[in-house]
Amino acid sequence: MSFKRVSKLGRIRSFSAFFGTFLLTLLIIGVVIPGASIAADAGVSDTLEERISPMGRVHVEGDDSFEPAVEAEASEAEEVVPYQMKKPSRSDYPDVGVSSRAIVWVLAQLHLFFGALVLAIPLFVLVIELVGVSTGDERYDSMAQEFMKISLTGFSITAIIGGSLAIALFTLYPDLMAYMTHVFGAQMLVYASLFFFESFFLYTYYYGWNAMRYGNLKWLHLTLGLLLNAAGMTIMVMANSWATFMMAPSGVNEVGQVVGNIWEVMKGPLWNPINLHRFIANIAFGGAVVGAYAAFKFLSTRDPEERAHYDWMGYTSNFIAILSFLPLPFAGYWLMAEIYAYSQQMGITAMGGILAWLFIVQAVLIGTILLAANYYLWAGMSRTEGSERYKPLIKVIAFVLVTCFLVWVTPHTLILSATEIAALGGSHHHLLGPLGIMPAKNIAVNLMLIVTFLSFQLYRRSDKVATVSWAPFGNALMVAIYVVAVANVIFAGVYYGYFTNTVYKVGSSVMQVCSTLVVIVVGITLDAFLFKGAKTLPSYWGKVPDRAQYALFALPVAFTWLMGLMGYVRSSVKTHWHVYTVMKDNSPDNFIPTIGYAGNMITLVTVLFLVMVLFMFWIANLSATKQAKPVASVDGGAA
Amino acid sequence: MNNEKSGGAGSVVLAFVAFGIALAVFYGLDHFIMNIQGLPLNWDLTPAG
Amino acid sequence: MNVLGKTLGFSLGMILIFTLVANLLPQVEGEAPVEQKVDLGALTMESYIALGEALFSGKGTCTLCHNAMGRAPDLLVMNVGGAAEKHLEDERYKGKATNIEEYLHESMVDPGAFVVASFGKKGSNDTESPMPAVNKAPIELSEIEINAIIAFLQFKDGNDVTVELPTEAPPVEAAPAAGSAPAPAATAEDAIKKYGCQACHSMLGTESSVGPALDGIGSRQSAEQISLSITDPAAAIAEGFTPGVMPADFAEKMTVKELKMIIDLLLEQR
Repeated sequence: MSFKRVSKLGRIRSFSAFFGTFLLTLLIIGVVIPGASIAADAGVSDTLEERISPMGRVHVEGDDSFEPAVEAEASEAEEVVPYQMKKPSRSDYPDVGVSSRAIVWVLAQLHLFFGALVLAIPLFVLVIELVGVSTGDERYDSMAQEFMKISLTGFSITAIIGGSLAIALFTLYPDLMAYMTHVFGAQMLVYASLFFFESFFLYTYYYGWNAMRYGNLKWLHLTLGLLLNAAGMTIMVMANSWATFMMAPSGVNEVGQVVGNIWEVMKGPLWNPINLHRFIANIAFGGAVVGAYAAFKFLSTRDPEERAHYDWMGYTSNFIAILSFLPLPFAGYWLMAEIYAYSQQMGITAMGGILAWLFIVQAVLIGTILLAANYYLWAGMSRTEGSERYKPLIKVIAFVLVTCFLVWVTPHTLILSATEIAALGGSHHHLLGPLGIMPAKNIAVNLMLIVTFLSFQLYRRSDKVATVSWAPFGNALMVAIYVVAVANVIFAGVYYGYFTNTVYKVGSSVMQVCSTLVVIVVGITLDAFLFKGAKTLPSYWGKVPDRAQYALFALPVAFTWLMGLMGYVRSSVKTHWHVYTVMKDNSPDNFIPTIGYAGNMITLVTVLFLVMVLFMFWIANLSATKQAKPVASVDGGAA
Repeated sequence: MNNEKSGGAGSVVLAFVAFGIALAVFYGLDHFIMNIQGLPLNWDLTPAG
Repeated sequence: MNVLGKTLGFSLGMILIFTLVANLLPQVEGEAPVEQKVDLGALTMESYIALGEALFSGKGTCTLCHNAMGRAPDLLVMNVGGAAEKHLEDERYKGKATNIEEYLHESMVDPGAFVVASFGKKGSNDTESPMPAVNKAPIELSEIEINAIIAFLQFKDGNDVTVELPTEAPPVEAAPAAGSAPAPAATAEDAIKKYGCQACHSMLGTESSVGPALDGIGSRQSAEQISLSITDPAAAIAEGFTPGVMPADFAEKMTVKELKMIIDLLLEQR
């Protein structure tokens, strides 16, 4: 059996470095934006008001003393009859026999899945194409094209589900949608018009691929890709603003009248955190889904050439998924911090109240993702001869992962209602109380991320031997960084988490996060220099056990389910409000459903998504299938 | 991470130097991160203020 | 086809595991934002102060700004009672409070009454407070909760705790009327105010988690059931709530007209 030997690993490394830099840039953006907003806040007491007051105040009926100040100002300024937001009562919600929320839930989540997929794929396709141009390796170009091919139907599916969702929303929640249309107005038309641009760039980008493959035309093609992404990103952030407006309204007063311009309405406190979070998560999600495609193709063929190709494609997808997954907790951390800053009540509802159990499920899902990703990396080490040296470390990584995972899923202290406390027998976990509170979880999560990055780094090093003169020192420094970072994460968690006050406890979690980031950043940077002109050990694509491919199925399944779960919490923190503090939800579904019910819904959506993705892949392969012409010998003989 | 046996004493020194650098970096990081959050630390990392 | 079967089976198996985990966890439905419930019957001053402390960092969202980061006076570190005394004598003080307890109460529901120097809204020259009134949305502390925080603030510096424990009858809004004989309420809203229903029940746009929420009660209960629950609260206790918290003497206090108005209003809550 002969395996295709890939000797040009330098290209893969440069791709890694490229992608790494790309994600680092994202991270920096993520750090700078909140940093800037913190800086703007520093010592300015009225920004606090800005953060809190957009929530508005509920008008208490019969309370004469209450008079919305803004309303008064508005009526003084101009004698226009102010828009009256309709406060829907239960009878205003059409009853279609099934839960309206369930219908919208399924459609919205499916729309989000496909939307995420078709926004993410062109993004890393463009990056891969760019890598292909800069390295001159045609394989990148072909792979990028293949990624586009398999996702092409996804754009139509997204649009179809999006249309159905809009119909469902306007039919089932007419008053809410009337209000949303009033608030966003022309922005929704701009949104719709962007689809024309999206489609135009999509089709020219995809169908023009071979027509614009070399030279200056290639740059034109890359530009089309960039514009496609620009249109896609704009669509995403516009749609995000609707969701964040409903969570944390801005630009409207307490009775729902629009008092700001469209920019003030869009730019709510949660907008950018959601934008960043979804942007990064989309990439991870998209990478995971195309990874499953590669794994499927890998398993379906015995041809060594094809296996080598799909192994490489699966590896790249996994690489994209994991590298974008690693900073995701930090983006989530920012989002959560902003939610707390906007409304502590909302934060508590999410993290410490009814929804807190959800984070146990989240831990199970993320644990699955990390274990699967690590397993795939370890299995992938069999591709190279140089991986033997790292074998012992893998046992340590596996041990740390499992231990941290167990700490993480330990239920933590919850703020519970009397019935819940009665049902559980006390608000603290009987045996594992101290392991259940946040500092312990922060330690666990950060350690899991650090060791996952270690797996990642070991894998990337497994086929190389550094030749630079300072290699021993570089290695010693890397080891020291790992040791000290792990020690620092544990120290910060234990000392500030258990022995100082709350402010320091919260502050120390930032310290932990930064320690983890330092490991990732130093790891990527150091390796880039350390392995410049490194000796490359033989490496064989396709030489990977079949069972490793199942990790590539575990990833998208867990990602999809996780996204569904996070959709449940994002929507639920609004509790019984359509638009938090402005428009109450009086529909029969205005309660937060149980985690079990949500789980069943998420499973339904995930299975539907799975079926549709299979359809999408099938269509992609259909286009490459050509029916053989019926043998004409009979006809010919007759003539 | 480098399992190639290099000179015994030299590699120990290297390890110590690297360890020292890492310690210094993270010590500085801890102070910096807590300070920008308005949570100053004493030299021994106990909360100040 | 074999590969398709295996991979699909694997994927569906994983999905089932996740579903199972979600269904094994305690199943809690969130009727309304539930946080903490206070059993007034079993309340001691210690637990009341503890409640105040929990509210201070929790639902009250006080520590969001009242911390060491300089957005607002760091109440946890300073002597709150001493500062309040000074502020009462300050010439810039324009509130109505005469003692520390009243001052603290006023500072929460009308933060603009006195703005500590350098903590005012930017550009207002310390005449406007950036702090939201805590009895309004989104914080929406009840009178009992506000007093719990006052008790905590007085206790933590070793000052005298002058706050009285909340009794069975919620003191909300009824306090100003004390002394004179209560006049019959003219409207249903007045009657609800008079008897302080909103201190414990979420209704008419206010929120409280002490008692069951009455939003939409009209679609769940008949006039007879509502009437019984007011005149004899112990007759039926909603699941998850403690018997004996709701005053049992409304039957003596309410006029027939007031009772009728309240029932009619509640029946309209659908």
